[in-house]
Amino acid sequence: MANYHFGRGRARWAPYILLLPGFFFYLLIMFGPSLATSVFSFTDATGIRGAPVNWVGLDNYKEFLFLGQASRDNYGALFRTLIFCVGVTTIQFTLGLIVALVVNQKLRGVNFFRTLYFMPVILGAVIQGLIWSLFLYPLGGPMAQLLGMVGLRSEFLGGPPAEAFAWVMAVQIWANMGITMMIFIAGLQTIPGELYEAARIDGAGSWRTFQNVTWPLLTPAVNTNLVLNIIGSLQAWQLFLVLIGYRNGTQVLGYLIFAQAFGQTSGSVTSAFRQGYGAAASIVLFFLVLVIGMSVQFFLQRREGRVLG
Amino acid sequence: MSAAVTSKSLTKQQATGHINWGRIGSYLILLFFALIYLGPLLMLLSTSLKTMPDFMKNATSLPTTLNFQNYLEAWEKANFPRYLTNTILYTFSATVIYVVTGVFVAFPIARGYVKGAGFLLTLYVIALFLPVALIPQFQLMLSLGLYNNPIGYVMLFLVNPIGIVILVNYFKSLPVELDEAAAMDGCGYLRFVTTVIIPLSSPAIATVAVLHAIGIWNELILPTIYLTNKDYYPITRGMIVFQGVYGSDWPTLAAAVLIMTLPMLIIFLVLQRFIVSGLTAGAVKG
Repeated sequence: MANYHFGRGRARWAPYILLLPGFFFYLLIMFGPSLATSVFSFTDATGIRGAPVNWVGLDNYKEFLFLGQASRDNYGALFRTLIFCVGVTTIQFTLGLIVALVVNQKLRGVNFFRTLYFMPVILGAVIQGLIWSLFLYPLGGPMAQLLGMVGLRSEFLGGPPAEAFAWVMAVQIWANMGITMMIFIAGLQTIPGELYEAARIDGAGSWRTFQNVTWPLLTPAVNTNLVLNIIGSLQAWQLFLVLIGYRNGTQVLGYLIFAQAFGQTSGSVTSAFRQGYGAAASIVLFFLVLVIGMSVQFFLQRREGRVLG
Repeated sequence: MSAAVTSKSLTKQQATGHINWGRIGSYLILLFFALIYLGPLLMLLSTSLKTMPDFMKNATSLPTTLNFQNYLEAWEKANFPRYLTNTILYTFSATVIYVVTGVFVAFPIARGYVKGAGFLLTLYVIALFLPVALIPQFQLMLSLGLYNNPIGYVMLFLVNPIGIVILVNYFKSLPVELDEAAAMDGCGYLRFVTTVIIPLSSPAIATVAVLHAIGIWNELILPTIYLTNKDYYPITRGMIVFQGVYGSDWPTLAAAVLIMTLPMLIIFLVLQRFIVSGLTAGAVKG
């Protein structure tokens, strides 16, 4: 406990009283509801005001994991969530690293390119999604023409589920590669120039220099990017909403939770609000994030100890 | 652009006697990604200036005449003035309240002026990993009677744990001697934070405020869940509804998307420094 300088007695309360509003909102809006999700997952809560809420034990989980076709669809969503995570993370990480290495050189106009690649990050899912809906316009849109040049065809977002899914993945990467790039650039700028000088004097080529200087010293940025990308892509689903809507064979877990809890179509209340069931699905997603996040952290920390000593 | 690249590498070649392939490759990568990033935006711009028959005939051709009609139409049909006003009100009020309350949470935690400061900080740090709060949050707002209510909607945005963590880290870098000196001069806690700490921390506060505001501005899920009255829609929700109705009229839709994109682009170009520093804060410390 540090020394408090601003008086004693009643004056000592000041920081507590002033901290209260912000902390209260945090507990009320985020922390409390977050924990309460697990409680709701054992009930049959609906979104209807005044409707009775009953304790149903593990029923939601049993239904989610074991009951008929619906549970098989859920496994599909689970599987797609993992595919989305692995695909987005590996591609976004690799491209982000390559682009960061390129724009970190002294080249003409790098600031412009940096800004350009980062720009989609702030546009948000609605604009990102609509811009790409147009770019992927199937009847002679730019991407259709480009693919046509090499003799390919795609129905894009209206095509078979796997194809639509892949395009959403591409847009997700396009939208967020800028953050990955910026974190790598911040990491690259912490590496002292003398090390590169020394490597050059020792006659190391650019690949050797990357392997022995850049890559190991980039470890903190690598870790941050991996953790952010993995956790972020496991929970991301807004682009699905904007680009293809709720469609069988494309949903990921996050979207499934939303659809179950708040009705399937975006906003207009159609199907029942199955909030207890949705809460159970949220807990499943939480464990997925927890298990994957923890193992990655563990692995990265061991590697960091090995690489940086 | 490509001409500039070639001439540059040519002079390099003449000077050193060999072609610098690394440099050429770098420029090629830059150009390739520039196409991927500019292409969709240019398509949006081009489509927004075309007429519907033109677009149907050839979606990718450049507009032959500049048809600004789409913008007028979009502005009126999409109910933009209303939705934009709503978004600005939500964003501004929630960001101001969040930042002010947030400073008073982060400062005593950074200084250890409240008991259990370390524990409090942990509560904010783990927020990233907690289960989605959406469902109980909805039940809460429903029972408080704040569903479909602008005040309830703003309340949802008074929290942002990452911002608190950024502020705590920044406050820790300010010397404690400031506090001692101010207290010695008889300055109270409230006055000290508002007149000394807040001005000194303006870069960090700006970063946190900008990040938070962008999040609110772009939010789509919460208005979809909480706001059913059209008069309360923020621009994101209004845009999705507009797309539902005018989905096939791409020229008008593109104009609407551009109207919505432009303020974000301007804000981005002006505040880029704060946005980047916020998103990369603490990312590369060992």
